Amino acid sequence: MDFFGNIITGFQITFQPVNLLYCFAGCLVGTLIGVLPGIGPSGTISILLPVTFKISPVTSVIFLAGIYYGAMYGGSTTSILVNVPGEAASVVTCLDGYQMARQGRAGPALGIAAFGSFIAGTLSVLALMFLSYPLSRFALAFGPPEYTALIILGITILTYLAQKSLLKALMMATFGFMLAFVGVDMLTGKARFTFGIPALMDGIGILPIVMGIFGVAEVLENFDASGEISVVKAKLGNLFPSRQDWKDCWKPISRGTLIGFFLGIIPGGSATLASFISYATEKRCSKHPERFGRGAIEGVAGPESANNSACAGGLVPLFALGIPPSVVAALLFAALMMHGIQPGPFIITEHPQIFWGLVASMYLGNIMLMVINLPLIGVWVQVLKVPRRVLLPLILFFCIVGAYAINNSFFDVGVMMLFGVIGYLMKKFDYEAAPLVLAFVLGPILENSMRQSLRISRGSFWIFFSRPVSGTLLVLAGLILLSYFFFNKQRDVLDEKEIKT
Amino acid sequence: MKRPEKDIIGALFWLAVGVGYAVGALRLNPGTLRNPGPGFLPLVMALLLICFSLFLVVRELFKPESFLRGIRWKNQLLIVASVALYGFVLDLIGFLFSTFILMFVLFGLRFSGKKKWLTVFLFAAATALAGWLVFSVVLKVPFPRARFMALWR
Repeated sequence: MDFFGNIITGFQITFQPVNLLYCFAGCLVGTLIGVLPGIGPSGTISILLPVTFKISPVTSVIFLAGIYYGAMYGGSTTSILVNVPGEAASVVTCLDGYQMARQGRAGPALGIAAFGSFIAGTLSVLALMFLSYPLSRFALAFGPPEYTALIILGITILTYLAQKSLLKALMMATFGFMLAFVGVDMLTGKARFTFGIPALMDGIGILPIVMGIFGVAEVLENFDASGEISVVKAKLGNLFPSRQDWKDCWKPISRGTLIGFFLGIIPGGSATLASFISYATEKRCSKHPERFGRGAIEGVAGPESANNSACAGGLVPLFALGIPPSVVAALLFAALMMHGIQPGPFIITEHPQIFWGLVASMYLGNIMLMVINLPLIGVWVQVLKVPRRVLLPLILFFCIVGAYAINNSFFDVGVMMLFGVIGYLMKKFDYEAAPLVLAFVLGPILENSMRQSLRISRGSFWIFFSRPVSGTLLVLAGLILLSYFFFNKQRDVLDEKEIKT
Repeated sequence: MKRPEKDIIGALFWLAVGVGYAVGALRLNPGTLRNPGPGFLPLVMALLLICFSLFLVVRELFKPESFLRGIRWKNQLLIVASVALYGFVLDLIGFLFSTFILMFVLFGLRFSGKKKWLTVFLFAAATALAGWLVFSVVLKVPFPRARFMALWR
């Protein structure tokens, strides 16, 4: 089918009433949890994933993706009005957004955040559309050695981009792989690390793990802090940025879009990282870097665009290669698997309705989000006033219900609570969760492709290096690891100083 | 909790996880490279985790803010070695001489300044002599007799 035919099919799918409804619901839920601090898109998607078991795969992907990019819109509202990030990708928006609000410019800050998100969201979906299909054609030639190399490279980049410590990120990745091996071995049928528990025969589910780490752990951590948050009492004023604002912002928005999209593609280059890098870039490009941190509108426009386009960027490797680069993409991966669809380079050709339907829905979703966020901003300000003492217990309750709903059993609730505690301790001991989750999802693919490769090569590791694509990928991974030891110090400088001062 | 301590506790935990997992993986039959079994990649991952956590422990132990940095390795080793040597040579050269050597090392590590070694010599000799008088002559502690003295008997 030709390109335009595909797009038209995509819009036909999106405009089916049920898909329109779920797209809107996803955007609405996304904005809601984006606005509310205490739970982010990863936790929410894992809680709501069981809801989508009964609906068609394309509808569920449209719904779940809507939550993701919706959260990017909503997160900025909290950052600007409360100086508390609604979710992790809006942390840097606090720096200048809150200052703008204190200076009485909350309206334009919210406005530019929404417009920037819209522009970045739309452009990046366009890029997603043009890039995924050719890349998937290229990946069709990939055999087991290429997939092994791809995953090793992916995990290397992911840990390299870890914000805290490369070593700890590597440890989390190995632990994630180790968790992935629990259950019956697919090749030999042997039970591994099940301790005789029947529920573990199918392996640990990704949903209780993500709910635990991104939901329960968040609640546990929030119980450490006491007190309530206070919304800034400023008039919102005109939401539309002035002509001068637009003049200041069109470059940050375009740069943010590019940065976000390409970082989104890279494993570990999450929306959060994209927003940080965009902020640092804007500060460096600005003629008046001293204005940053004192209410510079560029410091809102750039990061807010970047985190939105990172969402679409993250879908490129998911649909072209079957490799999720972020936790949310991993959840979409899991959602497709639960509908019996194996993500990989075949998915766009074999299930065109899913990919093109999702792409079309994202155009529409971005328009919906503009409407949800700008005229209805007053509603979200009211939502922000829900006190934490009400919110946190409710989040925990939703986690419990969500975990129970996966298999209608309390075993998953127990697994979730266990990972809640693990996640909480990981936060306290400065370990990052993303490498764990991604390695967990990639574990079975890595194991199968590695074992198959070694069988083909009769036990020789040369197979990974002698083939051009896998060899290149592995050399790249090696260079990245080596470069860490040489450029370690400069990296720390970029992380710590560029953003905070 | 300071960062090195925190990281060491964490790394020790992961080390234990890695070791436990490795044992489990070995029981699962790792197979051969030609035909990797169900325990193959689990074993690889467990070994990696063990390596990483050991690396983390060592790295944190030698951080500037680590508690180990206050330790003067040379001194500690010398003290332990000299006491071990003391027990070893006590019945060979007798209480008087071996105490003198031990005290010479110990005082030598703490004293400084001009005429350091003369002072140390005098202090060590005085301690050995006084110790011999008090413990052996007055209190009659039965120290082993120097064996090499027998050569002259």
